[in-house]
Amino acid sequence: MKVSKNELTASLKKAFEALGFQPGDYYDAADMVVWLETHGFDGFDRLLAALAYLNTTAPIHADLVQEDAHNSVLDGRGTSVLLCGSEAVDLIRSQVIQGSSAGLEIINCYNRTFIIERLVKAARRNFAFIAYWRQLDYCVKVSITAVSELPEYQTFKMIDVFDRQSLRIFCGPDLEAIEKQYGEQLEFGTLVENYPKAKMADCYRNSVEQGIEIDQALWKTLDDLVAKILVESTADSRAGAGD
Amino acid sequence: MRKGSYQTHNSDDLTVLQMRPASQVMQLERLGSFHQSRLSFMRTLVRRMVAENWQISSSVFDLDEHGYGTVVYQVEAKYGTFSYVLFSHHLDPENRNDRVIADQWDLTMALCEGTVDTEQLDFLRNNVPKQEAGRVDSRVLVLSRANRSARTFEYVVNELAHGHQPNVDLIAEVGYLYRTTAAYGSGKLGMADWEKVWTKHRDFARPFAAEMFTCYMLRHFSMQQADYLASQRAPKSAVVLHEDIKRYIGIGNSTGLGMAPFLINHPLLINQWIEMRETALATVVDASAAGVDEATLARLDTATQRVIQHLSEIVTADERQSNANVLLREELQLLHLWLQEQGAVLASSHHVWASLIQYAEQHWCIETQEVINTLLIELYPALVDGLEEHMWVDESHEVTPEMEVAELLEVIEDKYDWALAIDFSKCESMGAFWYRSEEKMEPRLGQTNIDMGIEKEMPLGIGRRVRECYDRIYDYNQDRPKQNVAHFIMHNPTYSGIVARIQTMAQSRYGDIRENLVHTDVMPIHLLRCKLSFFGVSKFDPRSRLWVRNTMFQGAPLISDFGKLLSDDWQFPVKPALKSG
Repeated sequence: MKVSKNELTASLKKAFEALGFQPGDYYDAADMVVWLETHGFDGFDRLLAALAYLNTTAPIHADLVQEDAHNSVLDGRGTSVLLCGSEAVDLIRSQVIQGSSAGLEIINCYNRTFIIERLVKAARRNFAFIAYWRQLDYCVKVSITAVSELPEYQTFKMIDVFDRQSLRIFCGPDLEAIEKQYGEQLEFGTLVENYPKAKMADCYRNSVEQGIEIDQALWKTLDDLVAKILVESTADSRAGAGD
Repeated sequence: MRKGSYQTHNSDDLTVLQMRPASQVMQLERLGSFHQSRLSFMRTLVRRMVAENWQISSSVFDLDEHGYGTVVYQVEAKYGTFSYVLFSHHLDPENRNDRVIADQWDLTMALCEGTVDTEQLDFLRNNVPKQEAGRVDSRVLVLSRANRSARTFEYVVNELAHGHQPNVDLIAEVGYLYRTTAAYGSGKLGMADWEKVWTKHRDFARPFAAEMFTCYMLRHFSMQQADYLASQRAPKSAVVLHEDIKRYIGIGNSTGLGMAPFLINHPLLINQWIEMRETALATVVDASAAGVDEATLARLDTATQRVIQHLSEIVTADERQSNANVLLREELQLLHLWLQEQGAVLASSHHVWASLIQYAEQHWCIETQEVINTLLIELYPALVDGLEEHMWVDESHEVTPEMEVAELLEVIEDKYDWALAIDFSKCESMGAFWYRSEEKMEPRLGQTNIDMGIEKEMPLGIGRRVRECYDRIYDYNQDRPKQNVAHFIMHNPTYSGIVARIQTMAQSRYGDIRENLVHTDVMPIHLLRCKLSFFGVSKFDPRSRLWVRNTMFQGAPLISDFGKLLSDDWQFPVKPALKSG
């Protein structure tokens, strides 16, 4: 079946609300899922992976465990980027304002691909970002220049073994400034794949023009979650609607 | 730029306008006193259709002798072709229900892009009549439904069949032949996203333009169907509805709580609408600085008298609205006398409108003040109509993480002083809560400690959330001075949503609606009326504090008027001067 972007966003917000997300968190999480799905990043598959975790525990946010003027470390405590991605990007943005570029690592976090949407949104505020993380035996690198609409998405062979559940984000006024300041941490192996921006743009155009294909089982999963925030209807409650 | 002033939207024109302050405009009771203006969506849609001479004809008109069947109108607008598909069904009167929870209707409709072929028509026939229980696709822009008026429809058809025009007094009392009970757009039920409409279909690239058009076409069909049924019943004696009566027939509408959360969940859009309306008002006030010609004063006087007549023709059982209408008429009568007596003097005076507005604010009720404001805006189409292109805004709430917490406290104290002034320790300050019912997710208002469901409360109590956030930030700032908002959110992640809202809305002129929406005595009807005024409805008839009946497009030009020179002067419609049949 097909759903519209607006309809999907509305359903996801309510579903995340049912999972205990707070206002703000459920807006951001819904936007992350929709962006990935509408740009060809398998947002629904990644959502299903996230739901396996989110369905079993109350929402957990990351802890700030280490910080200096330009660098921070967050402990994700096993949580999803759907929950800790926004605060991480907000924190690194605030550090850029105070200096030139800034770096941040979230350890022990999951569903890291969702961070792309947060970076794209923050880039509109005139920030550039580079982020990378380990995916199986590859390294995924995402970079976006300030004020761009779409990121570069590339996978590389690993040349440096780092924590499987870590996500590293670097932010600055432009990509050159980031690479100049953090060059040693931004060395990658052989390029394996480059996902072209044109494909992202095509996927998005099709999503808006024709709607978004969603598996009926997933749509029902969302509906079942949404049902948890609905209140039973009674004669008294109908009076509260103007009967 | 000084506080309380504003530069017009035209960058070439650096006139500094005196805008009304948010503390005045954003009071809920005032928002609930707004009336249709030139910037209302029905008005702008009609202006566009008439000026661009949209061509509308029925490519399918397949109704049986009872008026049931299928009709497809092909719409040739300026930039594109659209199809308005309508299914007319038999409905037992006992199943006729205007509530959102209904599942059967007399009419169901869809506005589609392009032309509709047989295959798509079959698809629509299988889904449109089901409304929320069906699914459509992104070729559909709007889905809607309507019910017949038990009081007028059969009466009008019978009168026409007997060769008579209907009694205008009865038409005035009801105002319509059909009531619409919903018009869904913006991607609901698989329809096209607003983004698609906005980017692809310039004819409807304004807020709610497609939804309003759907209601306008319902009005057209309702009268065409009445004419058709009369001719079917009595081919020899039937007459068609008089054009003046047709113009006076609108579409009924019932609006309930479903509309209320929209105003709270889209504060940037509401701010934009209000800012444009206030810009229009400030512009016309500024235009009178050097004086007002007698013709303009005479037009205001004529319009005032029409509003008085319009009000006298409204039938409402609501005591509060009835009293308000009486008071409004009395005060407008004083305005009429003032214009009559002082007209010549006023024409040579400076700042006439500013003086009138000031007088009204000091002596007359809010509803009168807002009617006057609407009438003043009406006088200067050339100055204000361009604002209709600025009724949409990108809605994104964003945290400004680098802001120091101390500054955020100051922002709240400045922009949300109204929220901080509410005493939430009083029971009545948190005596109500909003929730979604399992019946079609209908928003409802519950009473705290009485109704169940508070654990699933919708976060619409913005004032209370701001207060809680302020208290938390205050404590945080005491413990950790000189920290920024990013750090506050790291330590208090559950406040990220309200912080984003505060920081975003603080940059807008009018900001949030200034009301405690979880107070025991909250008046949701003001929220509904505010939004409906921007839609452009008239004849508000509250049925309780939770829902309101009203009339859409009453007085508007007909399709046969498209392409003609239009004065666009159909607000506050009055009965046509015809003899009853």
